[in-house]
Amino acid sequence: MRAAIEAAAEGLNVAVVSKVYPVRSHSVAAQGGINAAIKDTDSWENHMFDTVKGSDYLGDQDAIEILCKEAPRDIMELERMGAVFSRDPSGNIAQRPFGGAGYPRTCYLADRTGHGLLHLMYEQLLKHEVFIYDEWHVARLVVEDNVVRGIIAIELRGGKLHRLHSKAVIIATGGYGRVFHTTTNALSSTGDGMGLALNAGLELMDMEFVQFHPTTLKRTGILITEGARGEGGYLLNSLGERFMANYAPTVKELASRDVVSRAEKTEIDQGRGVNGCVLLDLRHLGADRINERLPQIRELAINFAGVDPLTEPIPIRPGAHYSMGGIMTDVDGATKIKGLYAAGESACVSVHGANRLGGNSLLEAVVFGRRAGAAAARRCLACAAPEFPDSALRDSAHDIADILRRDNGETASALRQEMTLVMEEHCGVFRDSEKLIAGLAKIRELKQRYGKVSLSDKGDYFNSELLAVLELGHMLDVAESIAAGAVARKESRGAHYRTDFPRRDDREWLKHTVVRKEDSELKISYKDVNISRYEPKERTY
Amino acid sequence: MALLRYAYYPGCASHEITKEANETTIVVAARLGIELVDMPKANCCGAGLLTDYDYPLSLALNARIFAEAESLGLDIMTICSTCLMVMNTANRDLRNSPELLEKTNAILARTGLRYGGNVKIKQLLWVLAGDYGIGNLKKQVVKPLNWIKAAPFYGCHSLRPSDALGFDDPMKPWSLEAVIEALGAESVDFKGKTKCCGFQIDLVDEETAAKMTATRLLDGKGKGANCFVTPCPFCHINLDNYQSLAEKAASKKISMPIFHLAQLVGLALGLSSGEMKLSRHLVSPEKIIK
Amino acid sequence: MKIKFKIKRYNPAEGEPAEPYFQAYTLDVEEGMSVLDALLKIADEQDTTLSFRRSCRSSICGSCAVNINGFARLSCATQVMPEYAKMGDMVIEPLSNHVPLKDLIVDFNPFWSRIEKVAPYLTPTSRRARRRGDVPARENDGARVTARDEEAIDKSQRCIMCGCCNSECNALEIDDRYIGPAALAKAWRLVGDVREGNSRKRLERLSEEHGMWNCVRCVHCTQYCPKSVSPLKQIESLRSRAMKEGVLDNPGAKHVEAMADSVKRVGRLDEAAMTFRTLGFLRSLGMIPFGLKMERHGKMPKPLLFPQIENIAEVRDIYEEAERLEKEDRERKKG
Repeated sequence: MRAAIEAAAEGLNVAVVSKVYPVRSHSVAAQGGINAAIKDTDSWENHMFDTVKGSDYLGDQDAIEILCKEAPRDIMELERMGAVFSRDPSGNIAQRPFGGAGYPRTCYLADRTGHGLLHLMYEQLLKHEVFIYDEWHVARLVVEDNVVRGIIAIELRGGKLHRLHSKAVIIATGGYGRVFHTTTNALSSTGDGMGLALNAGLELMDMEFVQFHPTTLKRTGILITEGARGEGGYLLNSLGERFMANYAPTVKELASRDVVSRAEKTEIDQGRGVNGCVLLDLRHLGADRINERLPQIRELAINFAGVDPLTEPIPIRPGAHYSMGGIMTDVDGATKIKGLYAAGESACVSVHGANRLGGNSLLEAVVFGRRAGAAAARRCLACAAPEFPDSALRDSAHDIADILRRDNGETASALRQEMTLVMEEHCGVFRDSEKLIAGLAKIRELKQRYGKVSLSDKGDYFNSELLAVLELGHMLDVAESIAAGAVARKESRGAHYRTDFPRRDDREWLKHTVVRKEDSELKISYKDVNISRYEPKERTY
Repeated sequence: MALLRYAYYPGCASHEITKEANETTIVVAARLGIELVDMPKANCCGAGLLTDYDYPLSLALNARIFAEAESLGLDIMTICSTCLMVMNTANRDLRNSPELLEKTNAILARTGLRYGGNVKIKQLLWVLAGDYGIGNLKKQVVKPLNWIKAAPFYGCHSLRPSDALGFDDPMKPWSLEAVIEALGAESVDFKGKTKCCGFQIDLVDEETAAKMTATRLLDGKGKGANCFVTPCPFCHINLDNYQSLAEKAASKKISMPIFHLAQLVGLALGLSSGEMKLSRHLVSPEKIIK
Repeated sequence: MKIKFKIKRYNPAEGEPAEPYFQAYTLDVEEGMSVLDALLKIADEQDTTLSFRRSCRSSICGSCAVNINGFARLSCATQVMPEYAKMGDMVIEPLSNHVPLKDLIVDFNPFWSRIEKVAPYLTPTSRRARRRGDVPARENDGARVTARDEEAIDKSQRCIMCGCCNSECNALEIDDRYIGPAALAKAWRLVGDVREGNSRKRLERLSEEHGMWNCVRCVHCTQYCPKSVSPLKQIESLRSRAMKEGVLDNPGAKHVEAMADSVKRVGRLDEAAMTFRTLGFLRSLGMIPFGLKMERHGKMPKPLLFPQIENIAEVRDIYEEAERLEKEDRERKKG
């Protein structure tokens, strides 16, 4: 949406195509905040260093520099658009400490930062008269001669296929958390853009790096913001110990997410958990602070876990949260296909490397969304509309008719269920060669079976079963990319932790994993990391 | 049973337009042994309109009412759902925030009044179903109304917002049905029983208001009710006084008698239709009174 | 525990015209299961054709609102066991006041057009730079906004646009041109923002027919809002701001003015004077035949005989004090 606003402001004719209405997108669930060095006592260099270190030195430093340098500008712009950032007593934008950061630089709107900013983007879409094709699902990216021609999309309401002819397409479809069983992500976070990109011949980068968030609610995996620890929350094991002291003696609960998630998993695996969870204790913060700074957290804990954080600690555990990897782009969101851009979680610039810092994802979406929108606008103003191939619509119609024709096969939901359990078991917080190879084989077997999936709803109106089949196709591609990258990377870095290779290996593996599809098979290659300012060092918190 | 005493706040409507509600409540309360103490100084609660006008002023005017009851050492009983809602909402806000209470008392200071935050506000329906008790009420019935099929029209303000009112459950209310049944009458369930009569926009958008009134009346009629009973005089005004407008809006004859709660109770206690002032209604209930 | 779910089904493809019907599914429900979990389980295991909207399943995206046992709620935030224990049933239907498209999915376009009607974006004062690119890199230019300023719009900005309030709204039920509580809450989000530059213009538009004065104060919106937005409170805020800004030339505002005046004069509501002032002389004349009928039953209010309450001077003091303290407060803020 940020990209659309930027392009519309250049006077272009812009449309947003989304399978959900724009305010339903999963950025709405981001809670804690958005980072920017806006105080005199902070600097973009500090922000950059924290981000590079957090990425375990896999982030591209040219991209991170842009992210951190431009962050304050974007925060002010958001404020000017109407964002209601929480304020400190003197009326300045307030900031809170976040994991992995050496300075409290996370701006926030209580614990609803994503909700506030997403609705703000929606407001600006309307202000700039961007056309919204809501509840349209993209069936394919139309590319010919390495130039994008537009998309084919299915209108869910009536089942009609449409061709949308355009000079530029920006993919901003978010993450794929639903590939895993336990995830903070929305039911709609199915990695569609990444799947579409693979099918269009694009490359995905660093897909093996999956962020497991340390504090997701027992049973449902619903996110409990890092802000809860930022405000001073403790993590306790069954013995009542603040166990983070043993893993990150200096910053304890505010170590980066990969470190905290592994610590929790270790506590649980070694028998110091509480029913498969550890406890997040906020009680000592007091009612006023919880109600003012973390109201949504209290509401979520009460409604979804039956626990009031004022009087009881919250049972939490790690869950799949964020995709560091994604569609490979340059710092303007451009891919190797002309006119085709990507931004946000679906893209990999890469600013997060092997592990993302809390408060950097909304920032990435805003900064690189804006840049992708501007770059796409420049291209549109400079070139004529390329022709739209007649065959595209026909091909998509064939594909869909083919799915609808099948009978007596497995259901998409049964297959999806299996896939999520495989990924959780084989590609989780702790990985090893044996588990990964077996997992990859299982995913490939599921892909075979996917070809025979059939559905009972053959109608045109809101065929959510058809949508589920299309989503599953993308999820299986994404799952395979994750597993393949993880099998190949024989080291531990950031969120990718191999018990059989527990150390980081900069000599062999200081490089990006790049996967692409060739004749429906995944091919892996590697790409150098941009290192401009900060040489790799050992990473401790 | 302990003597029930309340500071009695009939509300503006029942001072004038629906004064039969006031007069019959006094008779019925006396018959049941509930003592009602007059509040001669009490001002209007604002009916929500003063909340629209100026919130701090509206709080202060409500606090003035509460202060009078507090000085009597009594809780308030009203016979108007809107007064009930407005006063309870103001009371909730004042009791939840010591800061707001202080600010409001600062406005009162010049009058020498002060509200300590210790008054509860109830309505006749709550007193009957709660403090007095359904069982006790049943014992007082001398003339069970077994031919009456009453639609229990709660309307809005005796139920919502439940965080300020708290007595009954807006999703599954029971009190009015319980009272109707205690009187020996049948209670007729209908979806519209907890919806709006349209009163608040009578003067802003008559057409919508009349259609709304008609929708509620036809809803209850369709379920077989031979009368409506309501705890609120504003609902009564729309359902009874303005029923002809509703009929016009719906192009249908409705002819539905509407009782104030106290009237129905009074009839079951053996009071006459004259004592219950039934002639004051525009749609005559006489035909269903034996 | 086995619970029977009665779900309203509708598929326009199933006939001309298709009729909605109820279908029952029995489901083994475990502790902590939400209605959304149950719907997903039914769709996964019993009937893959069942259609409903969903996304975040943590009550922030606003997709999954449906009617549960007659009232609009988020299916993700409603737990099956306590709901069943309380209501003794589990009936799931599409939202009210919306047109069903398929099963539990309703047409949301009218919802969005209502939101669009209030121009739901900040149009800042001219003092704030509006030109693009003119952005100071380090300076915190939002310094004028205090925490208290934010508190005024805090509730209104919690809205997730799930449609529960519009579904329950009694004014919308009868008048489909009414702007509705969701859009009005959004309107206060902007009018109440100290950075907004067009509050008065917004209030004037909101005061038109089918606008903010058409709220019937049924309190459904506030009762059933799953995010405690209290749309009614936001409507009240809009109305009192309009009164203060002098946007008075409409029946709604005149009604309120008449009330304020009546209470100040006699301490009570003076129905006759209010009717006259709200409707004006000519429309009040139109009420005469109706009034005569009321008069026969002694129901015509008599303004001249209307008694004052005791100690009316206190009420007038309160009016003066409230005004004085507010003025002081305003000046303190300015200085």
